[in-house]
Amino acid sequence: MTKRITVFVFLMFFALHPASHAIDLRGITKHLDTLKSVVGATTKAARPISDEEEYYLGRAVAARILGTYPLSNDKGLTEYVNLIGKAVSLSSDKPFTYGGYHFAVLETDEINAFACPGGIIFVTKGMAGMTTNEEELAAVLAHEIAHINKRDGIAAIKSSRWTEALAVIGTEAARTYSSSDVAKLVAVFEGSIDDVFKTLVVNGYSRSQEFAADESALQYLLRSGYDPESLNAFLKRLAGRGGPSGGGITATHPETADRIDNVAGKVPSGQTDPQSVQIRTARFMEVMKPAK
Amino acid sequence: MKSRTAAVILIILLAPVPVFAEQASVITKENAVREYCRFFAPVVAPVRYKDILEIVSPQGDWFKVRYKGTEGCIHKAAIEKRTASFSGAALPGKGTGAVSESEAALAGKGFNPQVEASYRKKYPAMRYSLVDSIEHDKVSEKEIAFFITSGGLNKP
Repeated sequence: MTKRITVFVFLMFFALHPASHAIDLRGITKHLDTLKSVVGATTKAARPISDEEEYYLGRAVAARILGTYPLSNDKGLTEYVNLIGKAVSLSSDKPFTYGGYHFAVLETDEINAFACPGGIIFVTKGMAGMTTNEEELAAVLAHEIAHINKRDGIAAIKSSRWTEALAVIGTEAARTYSSSDVAKLVAVFEGSIDDVFKTLVVNGYSRSQEFAADESALQYLLRSGYDPESLNAFLKRLAGRGGPSGGGITATHPETADRIDNVAGKVPSGQTDPQSVQIRTARFMEVMKPAK
Repeated sequence: MKSRTAAVILIILLAPVPVFAEQASVITKENAVREYCRFFAPVVAPVRYKDILEIVSPQGDWFKVRYKGTEGCIHKAAIEKRTASFSGAALPGKGTGAVSESEAALAGKGFNPQVEASYRKKYPAMRYSLVDSIEHDKVSEKEIAFFITSGGLNKP
């Protein structure tokens, strides 16, 4: 009888208190904590890096890039690029990252742009100078934002790094690591920075990553109110420019003609108010006059 | 005996059980709960990484949430849904559409400020001061909103 009553009590308890309610039972807590660490490790293997980690990695990659290219002190252009970039990022698939989006200009004639993991985006003065209006500059930035949305920089990291990192992370639950664990993680950190830096600055992303970034950029441009056709127009001018650029975008991106072919037929149709384009072009000219 | 058993049953059934609504934790360094579900809506409460919000209801790409007694909206990309945990620790929730479902579980693990500090110590020539200045130079929300409106762009 007592057993029956006990069962009844338990059944009634669970019937009246939905599963989302909390019950402070030590055993369950212990199991959940175990489950949590297993889920954490499994997720880590499948998605090897959190947004917070991506942020710290991106900062290091940015620092490395700034060791190669000088940062422009053109405040007007930097602010303008930030305003365009922020406007586009709000219409992207990921309007917020852990540390937010930040845009900066590199003082070089080389034509290129780099998306560091986490949200720092560099555009060279050469690249900005190659654009003819705000729509095109937005197209360049939209392409880089797409790389961040898709975590393409993180994908450049060799999978063996994650195995090494997991050996430390998987056993250490605490936020503070021992000095030997930190040394191991710093080694993985360094290797990961190398992988991303080489991909961004030397080898470039894969063709499929570049094509996908162009396709997403078209959508971001449309959503934010810029003319998506501007990406196509910019690519055509880039292709028409011809000749080796001494590294830069032609070295790190697929053949521009292939990118044009990929974009062809994918430009979404949308009405862009000509008067607004005119206003944007006027402010572009105002900012770019001293830069060009 | 029977009446005692009945009393025990009643006490157990009626005992106040803390009710946890669906929760979410903030996964960006800083963000804001806004008056209504749009970018640039007035901020009703600033929030920071790991702050816990109570989810009221989904609203498209946004969530209506409650934070410290204030109700408002936050974008799905800024939070990660949690399920109430018995030990107070986060567990990945079901699909929120947010960027990651494991942020809370991974918080502070791997590449964290401690690793960055060691790396910077090892390579003091790395241009971190410039990176800090890039992150520090922010354009204000007001400036972005004005830029969008004055340029005839779509206000998201």
